[in-house]
Amino acid sequence: MSDYSIWVCEYSYVKNYHKSGVLYGAHNQGFVKLPYCYVVIKGRDHIAMVDVGYNDKDYGKVLGDRFGVENWRSPTTVLAEIGVKPEEVDTCFITHAHFDHFGNVEDFPNAKFYIQEREIAKWVWAMSLPDRLRWMMVAVDPGDIVRGADLARQKRLVTVNGAVSDVLPGIDLHAADDSHTWGSMWVTVRNDGQAQSQDTWVLAGDLVYVFDNIHGPGAAVDEKEVYTPVGLAVGSQTNLVLATEAMMKQVGYDSHRVIPVHEERLRDTFPSRITKDGLRITEICLADGESSKVSA
Amino acid sequence: MTLQRHTLFDRLTTVHRPDCALFADGPLPAQVMGPDDLALRLGSETSGRYADACRPVFEDLRRVVGQLAGLMILAQLTASSDVSSLAELESCRQRWTAAGERIAALTAPDALAPHREQIVAAHAFSGLALGTFSELRPRGDNEAAFDVISRHVRRAYAHLSAATAEKAGLAMVDLSHACCSCGR
Repeated sequence: MSDYSIWVCEYSYVKNYHKSGVLYGAHNQGFVKLPYCYVVIKGRDHIAMVDVGYNDKDYGKVLGDRFGVENWRSPTTVLAEIGVKPEEVDTCFITHAHFDHFGNVEDFPNAKFYIQEREIAKWVWAMSLPDRLRWMMVAVDPGDIVRGADLARQKRLVTVNGAVSDVLPGIDLHAADDSHTWGSMWVTVRNDGQAQSQDTWVLAGDLVYVFDNIHGPGAAVDEKEVYTPVGLAVGSQTNLVLATEAMMKQVGYDSHRVIPVHEERLRDTFPSRITKDGLRITEICLADGESSKVSA
Repeated sequence: MTLQRHTLFDRLTTVHRPDCALFADGPLPAQVMGPDDLALRLGSETSGRYADACRPVFEDLRRVVGQLAGLMILAQLTASSDVSSLAELESCRQRWTAAGERIAALTAPDALAPHREQIVAAHAFSGLALGTFSELRPRGDNEAAFDVISRHVRRAYAHLSAATAEKAGLAMVDLSHACCSCGR
Protein backbone atom coordinates (compact mmCIF):
# COMPACT_ATOMS: atom_id res chain seq x y z
CA MET A 1 0.00 0.00 0.00
CA SER A 2 1.47 3.36 -1.03
CA ASP A 3 0.15 6.68 0.22
CA TYR A 4 2.03 8.98 -2.14
CA SER A 5 3.05 9.27 -5.77
CA ILE A 6 6.43 10.87 -6.36
CA TRP A 7 7.66 12.47 -9.59
CA VAL A 8 10.93 14.23 -10.34
CA CYS A 9 10.13 17.03 -12.78
CA GLU A 10 12.86 18.62 -14.87
CA TYR A 11 12.28 22.35 -15.48
CA SER A 12 15.59 23.36 -17.10
CA TYR A 13 19.10 22.05 -17.63
CA VAL A 14 22.75 22.77 -18.34
CA LYS A 15 24.12 20.62 -21.16
CA ASN A 16 27.77 20.79 -20.24
CA TYR A 17 28.50 20.98 -16.55
CA HIS A 18 31.95 20.30 -15.17
CA LYS A 19 31.99 16.88 -13.55
CA SER A 20 34.09 18.25 -10.69
CA GLY A 21 31.12 20.40 -9.70
CA VAL A 22 29.04 17.26 -9.31
CA LEU A 23 31.64 15.03 -7.74
CA TYR A 24 34.27 16.29 -5.33
CA GLY A 25 37.77 15.93 -6.77
CA ALA A 26 36.71 14.77 -10.24
CA HIS A 27 38.99 17.25 -11.99
CA ASN A 28 39.64 17.08 -15.73
CA GLN A 29 37.03 14.40 -16.21
CA GLY A 30 34.89 16.25 -18.70
CA PHE A 31 31.30 17.35 -18.56
CA VAL A 32 27.90 15.95 -17.70
CA LYS A 33 24.38 17.17 -18.34
CA LEU A 34 22.94 18.75 -15.19
CA PRO A 35 19.16 18.75 -15.08
CA TYR A 36 17.39 21.24 -12.80
CA CYS A 37 14.44 19.54 -11.15
CA TYR A 38 11.92 19.74 -8.37
CA VAL A 39 9.95 16.89 -6.83
CA VAL A 40 6.20 16.51 -6.56
CA ILE A 41 4.71 14.34 -3.81
CA LYS A 42 1.02 13.73 -4.38
CA GLY A 43 -1.18 12.01 -1.81
CA ARG A 44 -4.88 11.71 -1.18
CA ASP A 45 -5.09 14.89 0.92
CA HIS A 46 -1.97 16.83 0.02
CA ILE A 47 0.20 17.86 -2.89
CA ALA A 48 3.70 18.81 -1.77
CA MET A 49 6.85 19.93 -3.55
CA VAL A 50 10.47 19.51 -2.64
CA ASP A 51 11.94 22.85 -3.79
CA VAL A 52 10.34 25.20 -6.30
CA GLY A 53 13.06 26.07 -8.83
CA TYR A 54 13.84 29.61 -9.91
CA ASN A 55 12.00 32.39 -11.66
CA ASP A 56 13.20 32.84 -15.22
CA LYS A 57 12.04 36.47 -15.28
CA ASP A 58 14.76 37.41 -12.78
CA TYR A 59 17.59 35.07 -13.73
CA GLY A 60 16.91 33.52 -17.08
CA LYS A 61 19.00 35.80 -19.27
CA VAL A 62 22.06 35.77 -17.02
CA LEU A 63 21.91 32.02 -16.55
CA GLY A 64 21.46 31.46 -20.25
CA ASP A 65 24.15 33.87 -21.41
CA ARG A 66 26.79 33.13 -18.80
CA PHE A 67 26.22 29.56 -17.74
CA GLY A 68 24.43 27.87 -20.59
CA VAL A 69 21.24 27.09 -18.72
CA GLU A 70 18.59 26.14 -21.27
CA ASN A 71 14.97 25.40 -21.84
CA TRP A 72 13.39 26.78 -18.65
CA ARG A 73 9.70 26.11 -18.36
CA SER A 74 7.25 27.45 -15.78
CA PRO A 75 5.71 25.27 -13.05
CA THR A 76 2.36 25.63 -14.83
CA THR A 77 3.81 23.96 -17.93
CA VAL A 78 5.95 21.40 -16.12
CA LEU A 79 3.36 20.28 -13.58
CA ALA A 80 0.65 20.00 -16.23
CA GLU A 81 2.53 16.94 -17.47
CA ILE A 82 1.51 15.11 -14.30
CA GLY A 83 -1.94 16.69 -14.07
CA VAL A 84 -1.11 19.13 -11.26
CA LYS A 85 -1.67 22.90 -11.12
CA PRO A 86 0.72 25.07 -9.05
CA GLU A 87 -2.21 26.47 -7.09
CA GLU A 88 -3.10 22.94 -5.95
CA VAL A 89 0.25 22.59 -4.18
CA ASP A 90 -0.35 23.09 -0.45
CA THR A 91 3.12 22.41 0.98
CA CYS A 92 6.66 23.16 -0.20
CA PHE A 93 9.77 21.85 1.52
CA ILE A 94 12.76 24.06 0.73
CA THR A 95 15.91 21.99 1.07
CA HIS A 96 18.13 25.09 1.05
CA ALA A 97 18.07 28.76 0.09
CA HIS A 98 19.99 28.65 -3.19
CA PHE A 99 18.19 30.57 -5.90
CA ASP A 100 17.49 27.46 -8.00
CA HIS A 101 15.61 25.81 -5.13
CA PHE A 102 13.96 28.75 -3.32
CA GLY A 103 13.65 31.16 -6.22
CA ASN A 104 10.07 30.79 -7.34
CA VAL A 105 7.76 30.87 -4.33
CA GLU A 106 5.41 33.29 -6.08
CA ASP A 107 4.22 30.59 -8.47
CA PHE A 108 2.73 28.58 -5.58
CA PRO A 109 0.17 30.98 -4.14
CA ASN A 110 -1.56 28.53 -1.81
CA ALA A 111 1.43 26.69 -0.39
CA LYS A 112 2.97 26.78 3.05
CA PHE A 113 6.78 26.69 2.93
CA TYR A 114 9.12 24.87 5.31
CA ILE A 115 12.81 25.72 5.68
CA GLN A 116 15.40 25.15 8.38
CA GLU A 117 15.76 28.10 10.77
CA ARG A 118 19.52 27.68 10.61
CA GLU A 119 19.48 28.20 6.85
CA ILE A 120 18.02 31.69 7.30
CA ALA A 121 20.01 32.57 10.43
CA LYS A 122 23.37 31.67 8.95
CA TRP A 123 22.74 33.50 5.69
CA VAL A 124 21.94 36.59 7.74
CA TRP A 125 25.20 36.06 9.58
CA ALA A 126 27.11 35.51 6.32
CA MET A 127 25.73 38.74 4.89
CA SER A 128 27.06 40.59 7.93
CA LEU A 129 30.66 39.50 7.33
CA PRO A 130 33.41 41.63 5.80
CA ASP A 131 33.72 41.66 2.02
CA ARG A 132 36.79 39.42 2.05
CA LEU A 133 34.51 36.62 3.33
CA ARG A 134 31.96 37.21 0.59
CA TRP A 135 32.32 33.70 -0.82
CA MET A 136 30.02 32.44 1.92
CA MET A 137 27.12 34.40 0.41
CA VAL A 138 27.30 32.59 -2.89
CA ALA A 139 24.15 31.75 -4.86
CA VAL A 140 21.63 33.28 -2.47
CA ASP A 141 19.34 36.01 -3.77
CA PRO A 142 18.40 38.60 -1.14
CA GLY A 143 15.16 38.84 -3.10
CA ASP A 144 14.29 35.28 -2.13
CA ILE A 145 14.79 36.20 1.51
CA VAL A 146 12.60 39.27 0.97
CA ARG A 147 9.90 37.05 -0.51
CA GLY A 148 10.42 34.70 2.44
CA ALA A 149 9.70 37.63 4.75
CA ASP A 150 6.48 38.24 2.80
CA LEU A 151 5.52 34.59 3.25
CA ALA A 152 6.15 34.95 6.96
CA ARG A 153 3.78 37.94 7.08
CA GLN A 154 1.16 35.81 5.35
CA LYS A 155 1.76 32.98 7.88
CA ARG A 156 2.93 30.81 4.99
CA LEU A 157 6.52 30.27 6.09
CA VAL A 158 7.52 27.82 8.80
CA THR A 159 11.08 27.67 10.10
CA VAL A 160 11.95 24.32 11.62
CA ASN A 161 14.80 23.47 13.90
CA GLY A 162 16.32 20.10 13.08
CA ALA A 163 14.30 16.98 12.39
CA VAL A 164 10.50 17.02 12.29
CA SER A 165 8.38 13.87 12.05
CA ASP A 166 5.06 13.70 10.24
CA VAL A 167 5.12 17.26 8.96
CA LEU A 168 2.56 15.73 6.66
CA PRO A 169 1.35 12.20 7.40
CA GLY A 170 4.30 9.88 6.75
CA ILE A 171 6.63 12.70 5.66
CA ASP A 172 9.61 13.74 7.79
CA LEU A 173 12.20 16.51 7.51
CA HIS A 174 15.86 16.03 8.43
CA ALA A 175 18.60 18.61 8.86
CA ALA A 176 22.14 18.36 7.48
CA ASP A 177 23.81 21.31 9.16
CA ASP A 178 26.96 22.86 7.69
CA SER A 179 26.97 20.64 4.62
CA HIS A 180 26.03 21.85 1.10
CA THR A 181 24.70 24.94 2.87
CA TRP A 182 24.41 25.99 6.50
CA GLY A 183 20.97 24.53 7.08
CA SER A 184 20.36 22.03 4.30
CA MET A 185 17.48 19.63 4.66
CA TRP A 186 16.30 16.36 3.16
CA VAL A 187 12.79 14.93 3.01
CA THR A 188 11.84 11.37 3.87
CA VAL A 189 8.61 9.79 2.68
CA ARG A 190 7.47 6.71 4.61
CA ASN A 191 5.10 5.59 1.93
CA ASP A 192 3.37 2.89 3.95
CA GLY A 193 2.80 5.37 6.78
CA GLN A 194 4.56 3.12 9.27
CA ALA A 195 7.07 4.38 11.82
CA GLN A 196 9.41 1.52 10.87
CA SER A 197 8.65 1.81 7.20
CA GLN A 198 9.47 -0.82 4.62
CA ASP A 199 8.75 1.64 1.81
CA THR A 200 10.91 4.69 2.45
CA TRP A 201 12.05 7.26 -0.13
CA VAL A 202 14.62 9.95 0.55
CA LEU A 203 14.50 13.17 -1.47
CA ALA A 204 18.01 14.42 -1.08
CA GLY A 205 17.92 18.04 -2.25
CA ASP A 206 21.50 19.01 -3.12
CA LEU A 207 23.06 16.76 -0.48
CA VAL A 208 23.42 14.23 -3.27
CA TYR A 209 23.52 15.49 -6.87
CA VAL A 210 24.02 12.19 -8.68
CA PHE A 211 24.33 8.45 -8.10
CA ASP A 212 28.13 8.76 -8.06
CA ASN A 213 27.92 10.71 -4.79
CA ILE A 214 26.73 7.43 -3.25
CA HIS A 215 28.68 5.04 -5.47
CA GLY A 216 31.87 7.04 -5.83
CA PRO A 217 35.17 5.56 -6.96
CA GLY A 218 36.91 3.86 -4.05
CA ALA A 219 40.04 2.42 -5.63
CA ALA A 220 42.29 4.90 -3.86
CA VAL A 221 41.29 3.40 -0.52
CA ASP A 222 40.98 -0.20 -1.73
CA GLU A 223 37.21 -0.11 -1.67
CA LYS A 224 34.92 -0.81 -4.59
CA GLU A 225 32.85 2.27 -3.81
CA VAL A 226 32.82 5.11 -1.30
CA TYR A 227 30.53 8.04 -0.70
CA THR A 228 31.97 11.02 -2.57
CA PRO A 229 30.50 14.42 -1.77
CA VAL A 230 29.16 17.00 -4.21
CA GLY A 231 31.52 19.68 -5.46
CA LEU A 232 30.08 22.59 -3.49
CA ALA A 233 30.02 22.65 0.29
CA VAL A 234 29.63 25.89 2.20
CA GLY A 235 29.91 23.70 5.29
CA SER A 236 32.10 20.64 4.93
CA GLN A 237 32.48 17.57 2.75
CA THR A 238 32.65 15.50 5.92
CA ASN A 239 29.15 16.61 6.86
CA LEU A 240 27.93 15.78 3.36
CA VAL A 241 29.32 12.26 3.69
CA LEU A 242 27.75 11.88 7.14
CA ALA A 243 24.41 13.08 5.77
CA THR A 244 24.70 10.52 2.97
CA GLU A 245 25.22 7.79 5.55
CA ALA A 246 22.18 8.98 7.53
CA MET A 247 20.03 8.99 4.39
CA MET A 248 21.26 5.55 3.34
CA LYS A 249 20.55 4.18 6.79
CA GLN A 250 16.95 5.38 6.53
CA VAL A 251 16.43 3.35 3.37
CA GLY A 252 18.20 0.23 4.66
CA TYR A 253 21.20 0.98 2.40
CA ASP A 254 19.07 0.46 -0.73
CA SER A 255 20.67 3.30 -2.69
CA HIS A 256 18.02 3.48 -5.40
CA ARG A 257 15.67 4.87 -2.74
CA VAL A 258 17.82 7.98 -2.29
CA ILE A 259 16.70 10.30 -5.08
CA PRO A 260 19.25 12.80 -6.46
CA VAL A 261 17.47 15.53 -8.39
CA HIS A 262 20.41 16.62 -10.55
CA GLU A 263 20.91 13.07 -11.87
CA GLU A 264 20.32 12.62 -15.60
CA ARG A 265 20.53 8.83 -15.19
CA LEU A 266 17.37 8.57 -13.10
CA ARG A 267 15.93 7.40 -16.45
CA ASP A 268 18.00 4.22 -16.15
CA THR A 269 16.42 3.31 -12.82
CA PHE A 270 12.86 4.61 -12.99
CA PRO A 271 10.23 4.87 -15.72
CA SER A 272 10.31 8.26 -17.40
CA ARG A 273 9.43 10.15 -20.54
CA ILE A 274 10.47 13.30 -22.37
CA THR A 275 7.76 15.94 -22.68
CA LYS A 276 6.98 17.92 -25.82
CA ASP A 277 9.20 20.67 -24.37
CA GLY A 278 12.18 18.34 -24.17
CA LEU A 279 12.14 17.95 -20.39
CA ARG A 280 12.07 14.68 -18.48
CA ILE A 281 9.39 13.48 -16.07
CA THR A 282 10.58 10.60 -13.89
CA GLU A 283 8.10 8.52 -11.95
CA ILE A 284 9.59 7.31 -8.68
CA CYS A 285 6.49 5.58 -7.35
CA LEU A 286 2.70 5.64 -7.59
CA ALA A 287 0.12 5.85 -4.83
CA ASP A 288 -2.66 3.30 -4.75
CA GLY A 289 -5.17 4.21 -7.44
CA GLU A 290 -2.92 6.75 -9.21
CA SER A 291 -2.29 6.29 -12.92
CA SER A 292 1.14 6.49 -14.49
CA LYS A 293 2.09 9.83 -16.01
CA VAL A 294 4.97 8.44 -18.02
CA SER A 295 3.58 5.38 -19.77
CA ALA A 296 0.96 5.45 -22.49
CA MET B 1 14.02 68.57 -11.40
CA THR B 2 16.84 66.10 -11.34
CA LEU B 3 19.07 68.49 -9.43
CA GLN B 4 16.37 69.20 -6.86
CA ARG B 5 15.87 65.51 -6.33
CA HIS B 6 19.56 64.98 -5.87
CA THR B 7 19.70 67.70 -3.30
CA LEU B 8 16.74 66.29 -1.42
CA PHE B 9 18.07 62.76 -1.36
CA ASP B 10 21.59 63.78 -0.49
CA ARG B 11 20.22 65.74 2.42
CA LEU B 12 18.06 62.85 3.52
CA THR B 13 20.83 60.31 3.44
CA THR B 14 23.35 62.46 5.22
CA VAL B 15 21.23 64.43 7.69
CA HIS B 16 18.20 62.39 8.64
CA ARG B 17 17.95 59.40 10.92
CA PRO B 18 17.18 56.00 9.37
CA ASP B 19 13.57 56.14 10.53
CA CYS B 20 12.81 59.64 9.25
CA ALA B 21 9.47 59.67 7.44
CA LEU B 22 10.78 62.06 4.78
CA PHE B 23 12.53 59.12 3.20
CA ALA B 24 9.18 57.92 1.93
CA ASP B 25 9.32 60.59 -0.79
CA GLY B 26 11.19 59.88 -3.98
CA PRO B 27 11.01 57.98 -7.24
CA LEU B 28 8.94 54.89 -7.76
CA PRO B 29 10.88 51.73 -8.38
CA ALA B 30 11.17 51.38 -12.13
CA GLN B 31 13.84 49.76 -14.24
CA VAL B 32 16.33 52.41 -15.32
CA MET B 33 19.29 52.37 -17.64
CA GLY B 34 22.41 51.16 -15.92
CA PRO B 35 26.06 51.73 -16.70
CA ASP B 36 26.26 48.74 -19.03
CA ASP B 37 23.37 50.08 -21.14
CA LEU B 38 24.95 53.50 -21.26
CA ALA B 39 28.45 52.38 -22.07
CA LEU B 40 27.69 52.45 -25.77
CA ARG B 41 26.08 55.86 -25.66
CA LEU B 42 28.39 57.71 -23.30
CA GLY B 43 31.63 55.95 -23.87
CA SER B 44 32.73 53.27 -21.49
CA GLU B 45 35.00 55.52 -19.44
CA THR B 46 32.29 57.76 -18.01
CA SER B 47 29.85 55.02 -17.26
CA GLY B 48 32.69 52.76 -16.12
CA ARG B 49 33.80 55.29 -13.53
CA TYR B 50 30.26 55.51 -12.21
CA ALA B 51 29.90 51.72 -12.18
CA ASP B 52 33.15 51.34 -10.23
CA ALA B 53 31.98 53.81 -7.62
CA CYS B 54 28.47 52.38 -7.50
CA ARG B 55 29.48 48.75 -7.11
CA PRO B 56 30.40 48.85 -3.40
CA VAL B 57 27.23 50.79 -2.65
CA PHE B 58 25.14 48.23 -4.50
CA GLU B 59 26.90 45.43 -2.63
CA ASP B 60 26.27 47.11 0.72
CA LEU B 61 22.61 47.60 -0.05
CA ARG B 62 22.18 44.08 -1.38
CA ARG B 63 23.41 42.79 1.94
CA VAL B 64 21.45 45.25 4.04
CA VAL B 65 18.20 44.30 2.30
CA GLY B 66 18.92 40.57 2.63
CA GLN B 67 19.87 40.91 6.27
CA LEU B 68 16.80 42.96 7.13
CA ALA B 69 14.51 40.43 5.46
CA GLY B 70 16.26 37.51 7.17
CA LEU B 71 16.20 39.19 10.56
CA MET B 72 12.52 39.87 10.14
CA ILE B 73 11.83 36.22 9.39
CA LEU B 74 13.78 35.18 12.47
CA ALA B 75 12.12 37.77 14.68
CA GLN B 76 8.69 36.66 13.55
CA LEU B 77 9.05 32.92 13.44
CA THR B 78 11.61 31.90 16.03
CA ALA B 79 11.94 32.10 19.76
CA SER B 80 14.76 34.63 19.40
CA SER B 81 12.47 37.64 19.22
CA ASP B 82 15.02 40.01 20.69
CA VAL B 83 16.51 40.62 17.28
CA SER B 84 17.10 44.28 18.00
CA SER B 85 20.08 43.41 20.18
CA LEU B 86 21.74 41.01 17.75
CA ALA B 87 25.24 41.76 16.53
CA GLU B 88 24.01 41.16 12.97
CA LEU B 89 21.58 44.06 13.27
CA GLU B 90 24.34 46.33 14.50
CA SER B 91 26.59 45.30 11.60
CA CYS B 92 23.65 45.97 9.28
CA ARG B 93 23.36 49.47 10.73
CA GLN B 94 27.06 50.09 10.24
CA ARG B 95 26.89 48.88 6.64
CA TRP B 96 23.86 51.08 5.98
CA THR B 97 25.70 54.09 7.39
CA ALA B 98 28.79 53.32 5.31
CA ALA B 99 26.59 53.02 2.22
CA GLY B 100 25.13 56.46 2.95
CA GLU B 101 28.59 57.98 3.06
CA ARG B 102 29.50 56.33 -0.23
CA ILE B 103 26.28 57.55 -1.84
CA ALA B 104 27.03 61.08 -0.73
CA ALA B 105 30.30 60.86 -2.64
CA LEU B 106 28.77 59.15 -5.66
CA THR B 107 28.43 61.45 -8.64
CA ALA B 108 26.57 60.33 -11.73
CA PRO B 109 26.62 61.71 -15.27
CA ASP B 110 23.22 63.18 -16.13
CA ALA B 111 22.16 60.15 -18.11
CA LEU B 112 22.75 57.97 -15.05
CA ALA B 113 21.02 60.27 -12.58
CA PRO B 114 17.85 58.10 -12.59
CA HIS B 115 20.03 55.12 -11.75
CA ARG B 116 21.56 56.94 -8.81
CA GLU B 117 18.08 57.93 -7.62
CA GLN B 118 17.07 54.30 -7.45
CA ILE B 119 20.17 53.56 -5.38
CA VAL B 120 19.43 56.46 -3.07
CA ALA B 121 15.83 55.33 -2.68
CA ALA B 122 16.93 51.75 -1.89
CA HIS B 123 19.16 53.18 0.81
CA ALA B 124 16.39 55.38 2.16
CA PHE B 125 13.79 52.64 2.41
CA SER B 126 16.20 50.16 3.95
CA GLY B 127 16.96 52.89 6.49
CA LEU B 128 13.27 53.16 7.30
CA ALA B 129 13.09 49.40 7.84
CA LEU B 130 16.22 49.49 9.96
CA GLY B 131 14.82 52.23 12.15
CA THR B 132 11.63 50.27 12.76
CA PHE B 133 13.57 47.33 14.20
CA SER B 134 14.17 49.40 17.32
CA GLU B 135 10.40 49.37 17.89
CA LEU B 136 10.28 45.59 18.25
CA ARG B 137 9.57 44.46 21.80
CA PRO B 138 10.55 41.04 23.19
CA ARG B 139 7.41 39.02 23.82
CA GLY B 140 5.29 41.96 22.70
CA ASP B 141 2.77 42.31 19.89
CA ASN B 142 4.98 43.37 17.01
CA GLU B 143 2.56 42.78 14.16
CA ALA B 144 2.25 46.45 13.22
CA ALA B 145 6.02 46.94 13.27
CA PHE B 146 6.52 43.83 11.14
CA ASP B 147 4.06 45.18 8.60
CA VAL B 148 6.02 48.41 8.40
CA ILE B 149 9.39 46.67 8.14
CA SER B 150 8.06 44.32 5.49
CA ARG B 151 6.70 47.19 3.40
CA HIS B 152 9.95 49.15 3.53
CA VAL B 153 12.15 46.13 2.83
CA ARG B 154 10.04 45.24 -0.20
CA ARG B 155 10.30 48.79 -1.48
CA ALA B 156 14.05 48.92 -0.90
CA TYR B 157 14.47 45.66 -2.78
CA ALA B 158 12.33 46.95 -5.65
CA HIS B 159 14.54 50.04 -6.00
CA LEU B 160 17.70 47.97 -5.86
CA SER B 161 16.31 45.53 -8.42
CA ALA B 162 15.55 48.46 -10.69
CA ALA B 163 19.22 49.43 -10.51
CA THR B 164 20.69 46.03 -11.41
CA ALA B 165 23.12 46.10 -14.32
CA GLU B 166 24.66 42.70 -14.77
CA LYS B 167 27.52 43.69 -17.06
CA ALA B 168 28.49 46.52 -14.76
CA GLY B 169 28.77 44.12 -11.83
CA LEU B 170 25.58 45.34 -10.18
CA ALA B 171 23.97 41.92 -9.79
CA MET B 172 21.65 40.65 -7.10
CA VAL B 173 23.01 37.10 -6.95
CA ASP B 174 26.64 36.02 -6.91
CA LEU B 175 26.63 33.05 -9.25
CA SER B 176 30.38 32.70 -9.53
CA HIS B 177 30.45 29.46 -7.56
CA ALA B 178 26.81 28.47 -7.88
CA CYS B 179 25.61 25.00 -8.76
CA CYS B 180 25.30 26.01 -12.39
CA SER B 181 28.66 27.67 -12.78
CA CYS B 182 31.45 25.73 -11.12
CA GLY B 183 34.58 25.95 -13.20
CA ARG B 184 33.31 28.55 -15.63
